Amino acid sequence: MTALTAGAVPAGRRHPVPWRSMARATWRQQRAALIPLLAVSAGLALAAVAGELAIRSDYARYASGCVPRFIHASCGAIANTFAASTDGFTALVIALHVLPVLIGVFVGAPLIARELESGTFRFTWTQEIGRTRYVLTTVTLLAVVVAAVTCALGALLGWYAHPFDVVGVESRWQAGLFDATALTLPAWTLFALAAGTVLGTLTGRIVPAMATTAATAGGFLVAAFWTLDRHLLSLGALPARATAAGGVSVGSLNTNSGPGFGPAGSWLVRGWITGPGGRELSAAMAGTVQNRMYAAMTRAGKKAADPAAWLSAHHYGYWLSYQPAGRFWYFQAVAAAVLVALAIVFALTTVWLIRRRG
Amino acid sequence: MNVIETSGLGKRYRGTWGLRDCTLSVPAGHIVALVGPNGAGKTTLLHCSVGLATPTTGHVSVLGGLAAGSLDALERVAFVAQDAPLPPYLPVAAMLDLSQDLNRRFDRRHAVDRLRALAIPLPRKVGKLSGGQHAQLALALALARHPDLLVLDEPLARLDPLARHDFLAHVMTAVAENGLSVVFSSHVISELERVADYLVVLSDGRVQMAGMIDDLLAQHQLLTGPAEQAARISELFPVVQAREAGRHAELLVRAAEPAGPPSGWEASGVTLEELVLAYLRDPSVSVLPGPSALPARTRHEVTS
Repeated sequence: MTALTAGAVPAGRRHPVPWRSMARATWRQQRAALIPLLAVSAGLALAAVAGELAIRSDYARYASGCVPRFIHASCGAIANTFAASTDGFTALVIALHVLPVLIGVFVGAPLIARELESGTFRFTWTQEIGRTRYVLTTVTLLAVVVAAVTCALGALLGWYAHPFDVVGVESRWQAGLFDATALTLPAWTLFALAAGTVLGTLTGRIVPAMATTAATAGGFLVAAFWTLDRHLLSLGALPARATAAGGVSVGSLNTNSGPGFGPAGSWLVRGWITGPGGRELSAAMAGTVQNRMYAAMTRAGKKAADPAAWLSAHHYGYWLSYQPAGRFWYFQAVAAAVLVALAIVFALTTVWLIRRRG
Repeated sequence: MNVIETSGLGKRYRGTWGLRDCTLSVPAGHIVALVGPNGAGKTTLLHCSVGLATPTTGHVSVLGGLAAGSLDALERVAFVAQDAPLPPYLPVAAMLDLSQDLNRRFDRRHAVDRLRALAIPLPRKVGKLSGGQHAQLALALALARHPDLLVLDEPLARLDPLARHDFLAHVMTAVAENGLSVVFSSHVISELERVADYLVVLSDGRVQMAGMIDDLLAQHQLLTGPAEQAARISELFPVVQAREAGRHAELLVRAAEPAGPPSGWEASGVTLEELVLAYLRDPSVSVLPGPSALPARTRHEVTS
């Protein structure tokens, strides 16, 4: 090489990543997917705000008269109103679970697959930016945008859900709300986006990439509902002797606490009965004890119906294992961290596949 | 400086070699035509030199030693792939914006002037352009990066004769203005001579012939004479192609030194098309300047 041409472009110097121009380039190429996504997100946000405004006055009456003690005569009626008005809320929760999958299918899957299928990678990957930086910056920028949008939606849903949680109609611990908070919703979205990107890179074709992404992200979400969330929330549950004032349930509970049933705001994992010696009764034994207890209470009549008194009189103990309210965000962080770690693995795999392609 | 330099370059795709043992030095300052039959490895060679394909064996560097596909190389090499794939849903103006965002050196004014001169409307979507306009847009985007090396893969394949003429004129204007080197592959042999001054013939994944077109033409002759003397002539000159018609034989020979024809024979010059076709017809012809001469020359250039 002659000194003249070498002087213009010194070899081996650093090439800074042009974030600003890459943001413009990403927007230019992805806006067909991003504009509908932002419109849908805005619609969901409006639905959350409208829903919260609709229950606001009822909740204010409940909060002033029924918290912390459920004494007011009208409390039951208000709680029933809440229980009857969860349709729109449930629809929103479902929509917020579909959203990450849609982002994976319509933003993630075509991201690389479209370039590979149409051949435009031969244009974009031979520009000055270089293919690694092009793909890495595009994926990073999209990840930031979808994470920000879904984080905001998760926060809005949490705000809308709070009255239902306080009244006890819904629980933030329940699979459903648990996967759509300001932490887990963006984590699910990043997971689906990265899964779509890597599957698009692997298949190199749009339609198979979209189908496999829907199956992967949707399947994993269903698995979380079915069993994964339950297993996560049983880790390190605290045992505590319970009053049994609100009733006696044994075995797997997976339910939120209620008045007289478990520590306030906690997530109940399991219940069991101990015998006079302090040892846990088998399921069959516990069932027998429960039957005797309910039979005795029925004989005693409604006023004397206190399961706790009957149990202690017969030297039985009722125990619950639970996750205290204070651990909620800890478990949120764990679930989000697992999903984001998987997303990072997918993203790095994408970059690796793209670097070695050719 | 060599704009493309390969040594022992090979590329295997799922068990079949797209390019094999390719050793080649393309000097700077030329318009280089890369010709060869389908499947000869033209696209593979070009993809290797712009970093889209990773060699299975050997090495490829561009612009005097930059690793093909490295950031330093991408900054100075522009590539237009076969059929010039561009996002069809973007308007031409957005393609200019995109190129500007992906290239620091992108000269937008240069591209806009060129597109205006070609009457390509900036608001029109890329997918709505004619084949000629599409190719011209891809070329304008590539040239606006002011590359030192422009690589074009089959740029003429889908163009009608008029569009071909305009496209080549655009390339030649850029070469005259900026002195860049151009390497392009083509099936169209008849138009090469007007544009290219350097020729590389690839056949079956190997370099069969490479050199300045003027030199190659000067080194070959068409000898016509009595058929019964053809065998004697083949001992004097390496024969690229022999044809017999009745009592007359027509031999395309390589004569390193311009010499008078043997007595009883008539010598005439060959056209580029005749020469290329003769070599392509018989890929086994290893007449100089074939691949056997190239490694020595490459080594010489590297050590000097």
